[in-house]
Amino acid sequence: MRRAHARRTATTIREVSDIVVTTDERPEGRQRSAEEERLLAQRRRDTRNKWLWRIAGYVVVLLIWEYGFQAIMELIAGRSLNDALLPGPIRILQTIPDIWEDGEMLSNFGATLTRIGIGFGVSFIAGALIGLFTQNKWLDSFFRDLVVVSLTSPGLVWALTGLIIWGFKPLGWIFAIFMTTFALVSVNISEGVRALPKDLLDMAKAFGVSSIDRQRHIVIPHLAPYIFTAVRFGFSIAWKVTVLTEVFSSNKGIGFQMRVTSQVFQLDEFFTWVLSFFVFALFLEKVVLQRAEDRYFRWRQEVAT
Amino acid sequence: MAEIKVKNLHKEFGVGDDRVVALENVNLDIEGHVFVSIVGPSGCGKSTLLNILSGIETASSGTVDITQDSHDANPGYVFQAARLLPWRSVMENLMFVQKERDDEARARCQRYLDMVQLGDKGDKFPGELSGGMQQRVGIARAFSIEPDVLFMDEPFSHLDAITARSLRRELHEMWKQTKKTVLFVTHDVGEAVELSNRILVFAKGGKLEDDITVDLPFPRDPSDDAVAVAKAQVLRKFEELDLLAT
Repeated sequence: MRRAHARRTATTIREVSDIVVTTDERPEGRQRSAEEERLLAQRRRDTRNKWLWRIAGYVVVLLIWEYGFQAIMELIAGRSLNDALLPGPIRILQTIPDIWEDGEMLSNFGATLTRIGIGFGVSFIAGALIGLFTQNKWLDSFFRDLVVVSLTSPGLVWALTGLIIWGFKPLGWIFAIFMTTFALVSVNISEGVRALPKDLLDMAKAFGVSSIDRQRHIVIPHLAPYIFTAVRFGFSIAWKVTVLTEVFSSNKGIGFQMRVTSQVFQLDEFFTWVLSFFVFALFLEKVVLQRAEDRYFRWRQEVAT
Repeated sequence: MAEIKVKNLHKEFGVGDDRVVALENVNLDIEGHVFVSIVGPSGCGKSTLLNILSGIETASSGTVDITQDSHDANPGYVFQAARLLPWRSVMENLMFVQKERDDEARARCQRYLDMVQLGDKGDKFPGELSGGMQQRVGIARAFSIEPDVLFMDEPFSHLDAITARSLRRELHEMWKQTKKTVLFVTHDVGEAVELSNRILVFAKGGKLEDDITVDLPFPRDPSDDAVAVAKAQVLRKFEELDLLAT
């Protein structure tokens, strides 16, 4: 009885050490087990299904837009809606080459992007500085309500204020972008600074690491996620406010084009501008920001896998 | 030879009812290649002493004088948690604390990673390693700057018993080879007896109550009678000082 028990214990220990070897130091080129194959196949299936459903979402929305609305109108009113009032996706796609060939697309996009770049650039620098200043309790009191006002007030207020004071001058849109986005940046940076990893900073201090290296290797990597959040949200608001200011007070840019085309009932062109706006926003989010984030936070993915 | 001289070191926090005395007029003289453990109950100022010696905290009064062979050397520090930069690889973590980040430093870091048996993990991020491995990286980091003086603050208290035991052995080997002066904070009397030449006993309120010399040959096996007797003697001292009740 005792011997059997001893043997069982020995077997268990060997099994455990086997597991340690396979997880810790898997030899290169090892055959995958059946369970691993099953999990990989499942993962592939999940990815495929996710994409299929996503594409299905687009297709259904576009089909309803192209044919569904007209069918509903015919059912309710007994006649189809004027094509100029609700152009379908096919007609909108057809107008893109026209706008592109005119050179309108690039010049208007360029104008809007330049405004966002300058406006948000100024706002980001000022917001980050204010975020750092608010570590001081006096300066925190000084900026507190200003930050709350900026966070809660609608962009329209600042777009109109900018128009009234500065008209078509750049200060108008810089002011509107600044007022709507600096607080987002300052709140994020301030939160990040408040959560600085004191244990790591103390460690660096104990090892006599220079202040510059502490900033570079501890403070900035720690703040990076907060900065990314600030850029992501700040940019999305800057984008909307810029277009809004262009609707009111500009003779160039996507917002200006939206105003002109809607005034003359060229809804196919109007929607083309809206669509291009969406596509660009998606590109920015999914390609530019996501890529930058993936690159910067490679360590998180490595750890997760 | 490295030397640590502490004179009338006093540290307190807070005011009024919140006032806490962490260290009360501590005097200390540690010289040469010795392994000194600091033991005592929680809140007796053990970690505060190391933090003041390493420059993380400042003392309320008193003086600290650390003399090392190489004048620009910084003491090494192994913390309770590994305190590695999660966004830097293991090798980058070691390079981060080097004064000169050149090929020579890299080779030295590699040598100490090899010594803690993590020579092939230089490219890994800390989060990819187990707790024991992370602590070994912490130990390699402290050794990699080749300090004369090494501070260790309960480095094995977060680890399971088996990992802690094997790391204690590795640490003893490294100490023997590299001839450092080590100040080792622990709440584990057995650990202190196993590793140290001297054991400093602190009581609540930051008073240095006793300075015990452990004169036994190395390596010390915790199951050896002599080591068990020494441990019992230290514990008896604790009882005499009424430290166990706290």
